[in-house]
Amino acid sequence: MKSALIALAVLGCIGLLFGIGLALAAQKFAVKANPKVEEVLEVLAGAQ
Amino acid sequence: MGKIRKQHVWMGWMLLLGIFLLTGCETEHRFVKSTAFKGTHQIVLTFAGPVEEAWAKNLDHYAVYEKPDPDILLGLAGVSLSQDRTTVTLTFRDALNQEQPHLIRLKEILSDGKSQGGALLTVKKAYLGYLVSVLLGAMIIKNFVFTKYLGLCVFFGTSQKKSTAVGMGVTFTLVMVASAMMSWFMYQFVLKPLRLDFLQIVVFIGLVSLSVQAVDTILRKVNPALFKAFGVYLVLVIANCIILAVPLILANNEYNALESLMLAVGAGTGFLIALFLMSSVRERLETANVPPTYRGLPIAFITAGLFALAFMGFSGMSLF
Repeated sequence: MKSALIALAVLGCIGLLFGIGLALAAQKFAVKANPKVEEVLEVLAGAQ
Repeated sequence: MGKIRKQHVWMGWMLLLGIFLLTGCETEHRFVKSTAFKGTHQIVLTFAGPVEEAWAKNLDHYAVYEKPDPDILLGLAGVSLSQDRTTVTLTFRDALNQEQPHLIRLKEILSDGKSQGGALLTVKKAYLGYLVSVLLGAMIIKNFVFTKYLGLCVFFGTSQKKSTAVGMGVTFTLVMVASAMMSWFMYQFVLKPLRLDFLQIVVFIGLVSLSVQAVDTILRKVNPALFKAFGVYLVLVIANCIILAVPLILANNEYNALESLMLAVGAGTGFLIALFLMSSVRERLETANVPPTYRGLPIAFITAGLFALAFMGFSGMSLF
């Protein structure tokens, strides 16, 4: 029971840490996408 | 001002990397100066001071085994002590397999009536040569594609054109090194101390997707041209089994940081070589007159089989 709890806690911490890291990286290296691209894609048929 | 600060940041990173690499190196016992293989049957231990003859001559004080099999003790034939009593030569009944690192457990070393404590020593071949053999082993001799048949889906999927093949290979090597080093760190400093080794596959899969995602995000901003060239393959890397096999191998063999780095680089470049060779052949096959039944994937499988046969020529080869 105790080892299961430790495993859960450790994996949870690792996941949380990496998630925060990725989120920060995504914010820091954000790329501005042209909103018109999406609008045009929406108007097109988009079969593929 | 900004330039200086940038340099400081770089130096900080280098220092961190240095510490990271140093922690990977094993520390030997303070009383033992060096250990080495000698000839095919002998191991030489050099001590920092003279040891007691009665202690040194007792065969029960030495337990020697290959690192992967701690249960199988190697049979000692004899021990000899040098004149100045600082060098002990162990002779074994059978020839030693010098490809494997050997561990020696010493019972309480006695030196001039004082105990120096027990010791667990590692004997390895000359280290640089060992590193190169790990690198070349992963790259050519035990090529992951042609001798272990791993990563075949991506291998057949991206080997139609040379440019695609090289792009995939380079992206793969980059992600491989990043994720393997992270996996090594996680395994050695988090999973192993907490005895969570059984979760290694879960953690390694997470680390692979993390590094792919990170490379994707960073490359998109930092170098859009490179991202355009490599972006397509990045997603494919997650679905590759070599990238999961390498962390498992280095966890199983207890590799240190440098060995892990060599294995990762070797596996990556090995995959690059395999892709390049295959794509060169497949480009020619496009124009060749192949029987209709064999066109496309079937002939590619046959080609890969022939490559595997050719790579068998390297098997069992030992360097250094």
